[in-house]
Amino acid sequence: MRNWLSYGRWRGVCRVRRLWLPVYAATICVMAVIFCAQAAGAETSRSGSTNTNTWWSLQPLRRPAIPAVAMPVANPIDAFIAARLATEGMHPSPEADRRTLIRRLYFDLIGLPPTPEEIEGFIADRDLQAYEKRVDGLLISPRYGERWARHWLDVVHFGETHGYDKDQPRPNAWPYRDYVIRALNEDKPYSRFVQEQVAGDVLFPETSDGLEALGFISAGPWDLIGHAEVPETKMDGQVARHLDRDDMVANTIQTFNSLTIQCAQCHNHKFDPILQEDYYSLQAVFAAVDRADRKYDVDAQVARRRKGLMDQEKQLTTRRNELEARIVARAGQPLVDLDKAIGELEQAAKKGDAAGYHSNIEKKQDAPKWVQVDLGRTLALRTIVLHGCKDDFNGIGEGFGFPVRFKVELSDSADFAGAALVADHTSEDFANPKLKAQSLDAGGRTGRFVRVTATKLALRQDDYIFALAELDAITPEGTNAALGAAVSAPDSIEAPVRWQKVNLTDGWYPGVTVPESAELVARRAKRGALLTAATLEEERKAMATVEHEKAALKGELDRLPARSTAYIGTVHRGSGNFIGTGARDGKPRTIRILNRGSLQNAGNEVQPGTLSCLEGMPARFDLPATHTEGERRAALARWLTDARNPLTWRSIVNRAWQYHFGRGLVETPNDFGHMGTLPTHPELLDWLAVEFRDGGQSLKKLHKLIVTSATYRQSSQGVEAFARVDSDNRWLWRMNRRKLEAEAVRDAVLYIAGKLDMKMGGPSFKDFVVDKPEHSPHYEYQLHDPDDPASHRRSVYRFIVRSQPQPFMTTLDCADPSMQVARRNESVSPLQALALLNNVLILNMSKHFAAKMERFDPSVSGRVRRAYYEATGRPLAPGDEPELIQYSTEFYLPNLCRVLYNLNEFSFVD
Amino acid sequence: MKNESAFHRLAPNAAPFSRREFLWRSGGGLGGIALASLLGEAGFLSAATPAPGGRPEVGSPHHKPRAKRVIQLFMGGAASHLDLFDFKSELVKRDGQKSDFGEHVEAFQDGLGPWMKPVWEFKPYGQCGKMLSEVVADLGAVVDDMAFVHNLVGKTGIHSQATYLQATGFQLPGFPGMGCWASYGLGSMNENLPAFVVLPDHRGFASNGPKNWDSAFLPAQHAGTTIYPGRESPIADLFADKRGGFITPESEMASHVLLRHLNREHAAVREGDARLDSRIRSYELAARMQLAAPEAMDISKEPNSLLDLYGIDRTNKTWPKEINAEEEMDYFGRKCIVARRLVERGVRFVQIWSGNDNGFPRRNWDSHEDVRRDHGPLSRGFARGASALIQDLKQRGLLDDTVILWTTEFGRMPSSQGGKGRDHNPYCFTNWLCGGGVRGGAICGESDEWGYKPRDRTKPSTVYDIHATILRLLGIDHTKLTFRHNGVDRRLTDVHGEVIRGLLA
Repeated sequence: MRNWLSYGRWRGVCRVRRLWLPVYAATICVMAVIFCAQAAGAETSRSGSTNTNTWWSLQPLRRPAIPAVAMPVANPIDAFIAARLATEGMHPSPEADRRTLIRRLYFDLIGLPPTPEEIEGFIADRDLQAYEKRVDGLLISPRYGERWARHWLDVVHFGETHGYDKDQPRPNAWPYRDYVIRALNEDKPYSRFVQEQVAGDVLFPETSDGLEALGFISAGPWDLIGHAEVPETKMDGQVARHLDRDDMVANTIQTFNSLTIQCAQCHNHKFDPILQEDYYSLQAVFAAVDRADRKYDVDAQVARRRKGLMDQEKQLTTRRNELEARIVARAGQPLVDLDKAIGELEQAAKKGDAAGYHSNIEKKQDAPKWVQVDLGRTLALRTIVLHGCKDDFNGIGEGFGFPVRFKVELSDSADFAGAALVADHTSEDFANPKLKAQSLDAGGRTGRFVRVTATKLALRQDDYIFALAELDAITPEGTNAALGAAVSAPDSIEAPVRWQKVNLTDGWYPGVTVPESAELVARRAKRGALLTAATLEEERKAMATVEHEKAALKGELDRLPARSTAYIGTVHRGSGNFIGTGARDGKPRTIRILNRGSLQNAGNEVQPGTLSCLEGMPARFDLPATHTEGERRAALARWLTDARNPLTWRSIVNRAWQYHFGRGLVETPNDFGHMGTLPTHPELLDWLAVEFRDGGQSLKKLHKLIVTSATYRQSSQGVEAFARVDSDNRWLWRMNRRKLEAEAVRDAVLYIAGKLDMKMGGPSFKDFVVDKPEHSPHYEYQLHDPDDPASHRRSVYRFIVRSQPQPFMTTLDCADPSMQVARRNESVSPLQALALLNNVLILNMSKHFAAKMERFDPSVSGRVRRAYYEATGRPLAPGDEPELIQYSTEFYLPNLCRVLYNLNEFSFVD
Repeated sequence: MKNESAFHRLAPNAAPFSRREFLWRSGGGLGGIALASLLGEAGFLSAATPAPGGRPEVGSPHHKPRAKRVIQLFMGGAASHLDLFDFKSELVKRDGQKSDFGEHVEAFQDGLGPWMKPVWEFKPYGQCGKMLSEVVADLGAVVDDMAFVHNLVGKTGIHSQATYLQATGFQLPGFPGMGCWASYGLGSMNENLPAFVVLPDHRGFASNGPKNWDSAFLPAQHAGTTIYPGRESPIADLFADKRGGFITPESEMASHVLLRHLNREHAAVREGDARLDSRIRSYELAARMQLAAPEAMDISKEPNSLLDLYGIDRTNKTWPKEINAEEEMDYFGRKCIVARRLVERGVRFVQIWSGNDNGFPRRNWDSHEDVRRDHGPLSRGFARGASALIQDLKQRGLLDDTVILWTTEFGRMPSSQGGKGRDHNPYCFTNWLCGGGVRGGAICGESDEWGYKPRDRTKPSTVYDIHATILRLLGIDHTKLTFRHNGVDRRLTDVHGEVIRGLLA
């Protein structure tokens, strides 16, 4: 192996010249001192934008000179690091051995351990490019995107339930997670990645990426009650929507620009040059969008086709409306009078609105319900016919409220003592018949009362009802004895005209044409004649063409593939309390400055815009008065990805650095402001930012640059003298030993047990059972079957519940999807020990791991050696072998595997 | 020394030993010390230099502490102040008359029917003569030790936001519960038990579920540990899951020995990494918790007379389907007696919840439909348990340094909803406190004649004041217990809060 990064060479590098401390860094130091002096009295006196042009992170990006070195180093990163170390009188550590390197690299890039064969192969590889080849191989592995997407999902606080009260699931949130994985695997240029997440629908229309990426905006929690149970007209509704936008704004600025904009909600930022107006101008950017499901075409061609067809349809409609308007105008006052008369007649005959009988709304599906018809006298019946309702509530449509389980009985007494059963569908679910009439054979049975009892109600939204449009009781003679008969039920919502008991026997149900009065028929005819007379021949022809073309278009639209659904930040077209801005074509809500953050103290309206503290970048968007809401987001996306925005580029390279080294060059990756920390290596940060920005914005290139650096490849062993002066290893005189994150632990546990399913994408697996879904779902993790293979996928595909986080993962410091996690906590606690010792996942996988070993080798010693290698990445020390073999012989292999999963060496990467 | 450069001085966390880095990585600043405290090593670290985030040094609180521990009783769904603690004669007088608030009222479900008198009779109790409802009559025995705040105002009538606000001091998710802050600030007094324990309603979680006691940005060891006394595994994963099947007491013993051996070997050649040693130690503590936790929850040796005082059923009764007072007493009493056993053993903060999610049939306090039906059994249940808890702590001398806080999401309206229920009232509600450092018999802040808003609308009390007061009793200045997260020095009380002086003895 060509060990050109040996200790001695490093020393050579360091001894060369101390070019450190260019003007740039010195300036920062001076300014930082000034700031500290200011900060002492900052609490009350400082308004936001006093030092716009002085704070380090707001400085324009310039490419710093690479510190000169005498000998070649792996890459410029090492020059910066070595130069800084030299000023501290330190030097880098030697390169780690290959066994350590390969395990480090695998966990870092793909989140999984190398197999013993991969380790041995690397150690034996004589190719000078052996390491680089492994790097390239891992970066093109789809596992890379899965590993790094999880980091990104931490930052944007992606979750799959709303959180808050009732914590309902978001079954369509996963397309965003898949988008992130795909974008990373495809190595999208970063500015494209940013733009898609903020305004993909506008900047990259007709692409599924441009739409699914908007899951970024909707990633955080959402207050269902504050939106769907309280209207926007109430204060609580406004508070909920304000907080909702606050989350979008904070998510955007913290994620992409690493500033704590949310601190400017009540007043100008106390520490950073962020104005309160900046904050609200960012709220204005998101003022039209809500978090909601949106249908879309995955296939761009289909999307384009659909859009084309719908545009044509719109044009045709406009054309028809124009023609009609012309004709109506020509028909004049007589038509107006006639229409009025027809309207009145129609109103009188409004049978079509008499939907049916509708029970009270229940929270439980098994609430008992019945409705019965009194035929007036005992009759023999041939059939009983039930007709379903039609109501577009919640998109249910046909068959609305039709019971899932029910029975029909006849009796001579109203209390149904001694009833005769006509039909019993109480033991199995009855497929909703929609509007198809259900004829139930009564076989000549007799009775005066007909009762329909629902034993399992129909789902409405998150509650249950029983509704029927009509009940016919057909006598052997073929007449409907129920027509006009009295109806009774223990409850009914009684909301005439649409819903009332009498509707059940009024002779009307969907599909029945109400006979029109002669007068109405006559007037309609007259209207037709009037219009015909007023229509010119060319208009008649044009109209026919329009109708013909519309029919053709509709046919084409119907033949397109069905659309997919994604939960994203979008203009919402809702009903009830959660209306969204769709009803007014996405016109943004008015955003005002809220003094002290209080809706009761609303001040001036603000225009869409962004931070005002960046030099040469206008803070308010110059949009025409007629701009659409999407243009606001597009303007923000362009501002974020502008080459002149130094925050964006510093932010992302710092994040990447952090995930590779365990700590960023700036230790507070979400805060580059005064409350954050200063960069340890400001020139390196800027050099990386410029290199990244101007070099194709490829994250994979950046990864490769970092992991092939000598800095990254150092040993993680301590050097006592350096540990005394820099125990935190801020100057990177060694590599940091890493404790694996919850996902890496879980994935590795499954992987070495031979159980990890590498299926990519699609809906998340659920490692819980949902109890009581109708109100507040209980996410019961302990009821999950740990052997369900569907749950053996990588952790990034786990369904993430906000209110009841997965206990095992949470104990292992998994990110909390309710807040932006820029850097995970890393704790050690007895509860963590208990989880790794006793959780059913570990115990089950111990058995599978043991079974895999038994298949692998016939001897106990062979199994033990292999198991140890798989868990730790190194062969078992001969000295330890007897103890492990004896233990395994006495307590069997699953117990050994459990011990291996609990080793420090399993959870730590050198 | 080299690191005297300005740059170096300003970059944070320069530290003399690697343990500092470990603690920093454990979640920031001195928060890590609480881990050390959990690991029984607090003293070792008390010399550490300050870092962003302020936390009293172990053994040197901001104020002289009046209490060491807290038991919080949280009524999920919003308990009616008007029917339990805040007697309004005006409502008795005007019962059934059209309500008139003198201003536009925004009610959650528009429940602005006629005035409705308290559902139960009130009468005075104790030396202080405090009026209590007959459903909480059991508290009469200890009312002279209790102090009431009747002029609390909330910020929202939405359950989830209101629950978050009372539990964490913020309306939105992502903030640590009060118990987490107490744990972070003061650490544990018994390394074998978690510092913050939560006893949820056994029928389900209140709004937001475990997020109400989540550590959020504080290190994970400050999260409330949920326990379910009486269940086979009262703490998640305390013992090996039965489905494992291959573990015996002998193998367990041998596993610990082997694990320790291999871990020590591994650590021996990786000097200076405190995490490796801590993790070895965490397994020892885990084994000790396996012994300590079941013992703390075992009430079988409590005398019958005491169990009776708590209202705990000793006959293994099967309960009827309908909600009833005896069953509620049994459930709540069991949680209360376990709470006493936990604080007795050094747990810092215990939170007991009454009321599951706000669904049906109501096993929660969200009585839109019928206050008598739901509030009745729930009130009798919690009042019995709470009264017994206070008496029990008192006779053991523990009440002197244990604060009890009774709270809920918000109050309920003085007008009726649908004849028998009450709508949400975020404009006014009641808390009471008792024990360590609390002035018994005090009433701090009154509501107006209807119990609709505070009598003095310019000087309401808030959850921030309650939280500030609790921290003050624990010896902590609420403005100084901070943790830097995403660029903000976070506090339990945000930027608000004043200690309610009248509550202090």
